[in-house]
Amino acid sequence: MMANGFAPEGPINSNTEPEGPNVLYSTDPADFRYMTVNVPCQSACPALTNIPAYIRALYESKFGLSYEINRIVNLFPGTLGRICSRPCELKCRHGESELGNPVNICHIKRAAADFRPPGHTYLSPRFAPSGKSVCIVGSGPAGLAAAHDLAILGFDVTIYEACHEPGGMLRYGIPDFRLPRDILSEEIQNVLRLGISLKLGVNVGVDISLETLMADFGAVLVASGCYESMKLDVPGENLAGVYPGLEYVMDVAAGYKESIGKKVLVTGAGFTAFDCSRLALRLGAEDVSICIRGFEEDLRVTHDEILEAKREGIKIRSLSLSKQILGSGKVEGIEFQRTRPIERTSGGRRRVQPIEGSEFVVEADTVIVAIGQAPRPLKGGPGEKNDRGVLLADRKTFQSSTPGLYVTGDYLTGPTTVIEAIASGRRAAERIAQDLTGRKFREWAVRIQDFRITDRDRSWDVLPRIEMPTVLPVKDRFLNEEVVEVESGYSSEQAHEESKRCYLCYLHYEIDVAKCIYCRYCIDNAPRDCIKLVKQVLLDETGAVKELVETTNWLDVNAVVIDNSRCIRCGECVRVCPVDCISVSKVELLERPLVQESKA
Amino acid sequence: MSVKRFVIIGNGPAANHAAKALREKSSESRITIFSKDPFRSYSAHLLPDFIAGLIKEEDLYNRSYAHYNEMDMNLRLGQRVVSVDFSKRNVILDHKEVVQFDGLIVATGGKPRIPEQFQLFQDIMLTLKTPLDARMWVEKLRNVESVLIIGGDLTSLSLTKALLKLDKRVKFILNEDSFWPVPLNEEIYRAVTDRLEQRGVEIVHCQRIRRITQLEENLLEVETDREILETGVLGAFFGLVPDVGFLARTGLDIDRGILVDEFLKTRFANVYAAGDCAQVYHPALRDYWVSIGHENATALGRIAALNLAGSHFEVRVEPENILEVGGVKVNTSWWTEF
Amino acid sequence: MPEVDFTVEVCGMAGDGTIAAGGLINEAMSHGGFSVLGFDSYPAEIRGFGRCVTNSRIGSNEIVALGEKTHALISLNDEQSRSRTPSLAEHSLVFFDSNPPAYVPEDSSLLSVLPPGAQVFGIPFGALAVGASGASRGRNLTALGGFAAVTGVDPNLFRKVIRDKFKSKGDRLVDINVKSFDAGYEYALEKFSDRLKKIFSKIETGHDPQKVMLSGNQAIGMAAIDAGLKLYFGYPITPATPIMEYLAKYLPEHGGQVVQMEDEISSIGAVLGSFYAGARSMTATSGPGFALMTELITHGVMAEIPAVILDAQRGGPATGLPTKTEQSDLHAAVFGGPGDSARIVIAPTNVEECYHFVIRSFQLAEKYQTPVIVLTDFFLHNRVENRPLIRATEGQAASWNVFPDEAFKDHYQRYADTPSGISPRALPGMQGFNFIATGLEHTEKGSPDYSPENHTKMSEKRHRKLRYSLKDLEKPAEFFASDHLDVGVIGWGSTFGSVLEAVEKSRKNGFKVGALKVTSIFPYHSETIGAFMAKSKRVLVPELNYEGQLANLIAHLDSKPVERLNFVTGTPIPPSAIQNRIEELLEVEAQ
Repeated sequence: MMANGFAPEGPINSNTEPEGPNVLYSTDPADFRYMTVNVPCQSACPALTNIPAYIRALYESKFGLSYEINRIVNLFPGTLGRICSRPCELKCRHGESELGNPVNICHIKRAAADFRPPGHTYLSPRFAPSGKSVCIVGSGPAGLAAAHDLAILGFDVTIYEACHEPGGMLRYGIPDFRLPRDILSEEIQNVLRLGISLKLGVNVGVDISLETLMADFGAVLVASGCYESMKLDVPGENLAGVYPGLEYVMDVAAGYKESIGKKVLVTGAGFTAFDCSRLALRLGAEDVSICIRGFEEDLRVTHDEILEAKREGIKIRSLSLSKQILGSGKVEGIEFQRTRPIERTSGGRRRVQPIEGSEFVVEADTVIVAIGQAPRPLKGGPGEKNDRGVLLADRKTFQSSTPGLYVTGDYLTGPTTVIEAIASGRRAAERIAQDLTGRKFREWAVRIQDFRITDRDRSWDVLPRIEMPTVLPVKDRFLNEEVVEVESGYSSEQAHEESKRCYLCYLHYEIDVAKCIYCRYCIDNAPRDCIKLVKQVLLDETGAVKELVETTNWLDVNAVVIDNSRCIRCGECVRVCPVDCISVSKVELLERPLVQESKA
Repeated sequence: MSVKRFVIIGNGPAANHAAKALREKSSESRITIFSKDPFRSYSAHLLPDFIAGLIKEEDLYNRSYAHYNEMDMNLRLGQRVVSVDFSKRNVILDHKEVVQFDGLIVATGGKPRIPEQFQLFQDIMLTLKTPLDARMWVEKLRNVESVLIIGGDLTSLSLTKALLKLDKRVKFILNEDSFWPVPLNEEIYRAVTDRLEQRGVEIVHCQRIRRITQLEENLLEVETDREILETGVLGAFFGLVPDVGFLARTGLDIDRGILVDEFLKTRFANVYAAGDCAQVYHPALRDYWVSIGHENATALGRIAALNLAGSHFEVRVEPENILEVGGVKVNTSWWTEF
Repeated sequence: MPEVDFTVEVCGMAGDGTIAAGGLINEAMSHGGFSVLGFDSYPAEIRGFGRCVTNSRIGSNEIVALGEKTHALISLNDEQSRSRTPSLAEHSLVFFDSNPPAYVPEDSSLLSVLPPGAQVFGIPFGALAVGASGASRGRNLTALGGFAAVTGVDPNLFRKVIRDKFKSKGDRLVDINVKSFDAGYEYALEKFSDRLKKIFSKIETGHDPQKVMLSGNQAIGMAAIDAGLKLYFGYPITPATPIMEYLAKYLPEHGGQVVQMEDEISSIGAVLGSFYAGARSMTATSGPGFALMTELITHGVMAEIPAVILDAQRGGPATGLPTKTEQSDLHAAVFGGPGDSARIVIAPTNVEECYHFVIRSFQLAEKYQTPVIVLTDFFLHNRVENRPLIRATEGQAASWNVFPDEAFKDHYQRYADTPSGISPRALPGMQGFNFIATGLEHTEKGSPDYSPENHTKMSEKRHRKLRYSLKDLEKPAEFFASDHLDVGVIGWGSTFGSVLEAVEKSRKNGFKVGALKVTSIFPYHSETIGAFMAKSKRVLVPELNYEGQLANLIAHLDSKPVERLNFVTGTPIPPSAIQNRIEELLEVEAQ
């Protein structure tokens, strides 16, 4: 009876089954809707990581469990704990304007990875072998995620990887000062341990055809990412000293590049542009600028990334549109045009208008073009393609026009984030498994359990956010030949302290209207306007609460209602209620295995 | 017809001249001025004189409280605007008050620029922008004899004059990072160092400052690429940046300052920016520029207010006063004054 | 030593801990050696959503009246505090919660109505209290911490009084309250390091151990106990109820009892009954209850039975303004009731006098065998002062009963006509002294007698007794005495503090002004008052009532008209209003 304060019977689906005392599973749309509104961090995560649960586990010093709650849905907690784009933190309730700053969700994840004991228990349920096989093209985050899930669902999995090591963008697209290679290798190995066969250095479409794979395997999943650097399409792009961003990062990762010019201009607003710039500094550049068409707000990287880059001395040149790259034989600079920002696209991208007559030149001896990547075209082979030759598929079913051939990850969607690629890979795996066997293996459900109030102290609500410690002063980042990981990680004490800040939004507070005596002590003691005198509760089409219609007229008050979208779960109301009419339950969105029912 | 509510953010010359012009044009309107600082409007150029003991603190302030009562303006000091919601047309204050407006002028001015690489040492460096900063200098100078200035802008030079009057030993680092608002070239470098040395200032030559360490309450150690220096206090002057951080992600176009057109209008109707926080593209300059200095601020404040009140005045600048710094052109007359 | 005269107000909603915070300020400043006068006001409704305000005037010199301009406002509820802004002094300090539970629109914000020179100190009271103690309830203490830091009060003064206040509730409560205070103190010290005022820090006055912080209510309760009160009868009514609460708590420890009666009529009846039997008793009420008592009061007059009645005046008539202060029961106290029923009415002017007058009221009642009315008011009851209070010894509170001489045994006349009018009083059960008490007109022996001669004689006897009582009643006290005055101001009750301050300020302005304090309202010292009026070119009587009730009583004592200054604002008269009127009169005089 979570989403609806008045209904004597809540929207619990009838086909729920008990799991111990006071536990229910619900697949009612109203409950999913409730989760979206009220546990904002989990809903913001493309992989739907159960964030309150893992933070609570870490608070209880169960580092292994905390890691595992992550791993079962996002597979690479140690990696993501460093480089995730953190959509969850943007939605964290603690970050609402009057409540301070979001919980450092990502770095708590890293701490779970850093401090987990060896040999913790796996939580993934494994299914018996299905006798069917799947081939995956690409060992990046999407490919590895799909491989992992297909393996535990009982399939034989083979991955073909064009490079010499697995990991894709994780290994080749992210510099080692942000993601140490040993952490990455260990987490990839964890996936491969499930019995996945990995074939390195095989370029599908060149060394082996898709048709062959289609014939050998029950299904083929293309997860080969976006490796084609986009071009500025301006004169001079082929001059010596002009590099495509991704290739540049990959070359450095592979150890091919050891030096660079002194004065470097990087164009682009994403992580690749920042990676290129910071790598350039580490290779000896003295003056590095990132050139963007809009302004800083348009950068598609985290605030921390901008801060660290600036600390290292990188400049940001805004409102600058590259008109041509100058030089005779070798690059000598870029001619820019000033821009005037205009409305964004519906996708949120900045649009600009070049200003006539505002051309100016910035000198440079190296130019890196890091304005984005696209999937590589496939020559020939099955499946419908677009005009560039990129294989097409349905974004929901992952199916191409050829049965048995699937596409996922960035190859399907264009460049996204690691966490989105992982989620995409896992969903594709579920789909392939269903298509090959005709059964559903797992489903998402809302688990509801009676809960006593937590031991969270009210004073934890005002603890300041602990920022990630980084190596400072900046010169220590460039000390010697060894790679220095810039973010040094929380101590276990810092992680524990930060974990206290989480409100644990998976707790649901509710006033029992039948017991409430309308004394309003809860309102007097409320931390914010989270408990309301309500005239009417409006429900949406799923039956979830859409709006609480408040009233200031005492005669119109029909109930005292806790607005869970405003509630910070401080527990003050439960403590002061004289008639003990406020109940607390723990609600979690999680994936559970489905028991196959024999069909007569 | 309901009374128009005008809100002005800032209490410097641009803000006050905007308020005055608004009152002239609309005697009925409600004018509210928000300033994050708890003190009245002051004359920034007098701060070094105050530090030198030539004037009293009261002399810094150039408008009385009674002035605002007479002009029927609600002056709200020490109350910081933290965001603006342009769809609901309200400003949100630090203490969680929401104030509706029909017209808004942002005139928050500039704040001392501390480059990111120096932010680590921010707590042990002094700047000079407000009477509060000046009071800190006065306090500090009671107990120290030697001062190291990283600087080159007008403020740092006039402060240096004040320090010499107080018989302090002054060392000066002039480098590219700190010189502002013109780019430092060899000619200017020589001219400025000569002048400083004539006045008894010791010039420290170096490329880069590596580390600043507080040894004792009144003793700092500064490590440059050439040597290690000791000083009682360190003043850091890297010029000013528009104080517009609080408007990030409100939908306004913010580069260095708030991007406005030649009428000082922003993207939103009846929302203007003026003074040191506005950034304008100027066709004659073929680039963006940010105004600095008292004269510009008062003129721009007035233009923004008149345009908000329905006029259509265009901003004019004299190209010879335009200088470039950090990719943005600035308008200043300080060089000729010096 | 710089002179301090600083008024601080705390304003909040019922439930914000406003009154507690104001009380702690008073205690702390009193311990710091300052003179303090405090006054609280709170909503009339019982489970209220109303506004609570405490006002504390803190001075390095003796404080006799409330402050008029507020130098610091501590807002525990901004919407309520908006009402306080008109009384803010220039450059006043305003402390407010910078992180309230919800966003507030401009038209309910405090800051939007402050004058431009106000100095605002935003402190996240609730959040800091939560950080320090785990609950936001300590936010009033956090606010005090901020106030102490900015105004330069030694934090140890506050820590001490917080400990004293909470020590009975256990160490944990002491600890979290001190922590809440410290959180606000430290926050403000750091956050406003450049704006700290050293208002209180330079004063080095030690704490005077004889000075105690007392409200009028407490002083009255203590006096009743020190007087050996045996029985208290009462029926609750604002603002007299705290007397009953106080006595209910402490009187049993001293061998007395508190009885809540069904109404005020039975209360006065029981008081008369216990005095009839020889035991000291009293009742306290306010205007509406007093009105009910008047018939039985005249019974006490006629039957010559002592009684002590405390009338805590509030705004009237009828239910009137229960939580507001007024001086409009004077006529009722002096004249209320049937017949020529003169009785003794005395009116203290400050907390210290509340104590002494209550003790004296028992003695007067006993000696003159008549009801004695102590006329106080809401302001006197609820204000706190830290004045030196020397408790009465047992001897000083001794019985003034006039028992009959053994010589009269067996031919005792209860209502014997004596030169003083006082008939020695036997108590029931005294052998050989035939006791009688009757409300019918009676002879000296006590038998009913309605003859013209007897009624004339006995009426004269009762009034002679009252006149005689003047020798035991405090004489009007003249302040700044002088042979000739341009303006003489006569004040009574809680208003007298304002009179004194106004006169003192006028004198500092060079005017020839004096003040007369009248505490014996009936009978009154007509010669002293008349002489004061005669030597004053103009006579001014400021009162908190519409009719000028004291002025009506004494106007006939001199031929020139009495100037009146009447307020029915429900709040104490500001000294400046009296001072302005004095100076206006002087101007007229000069023309």
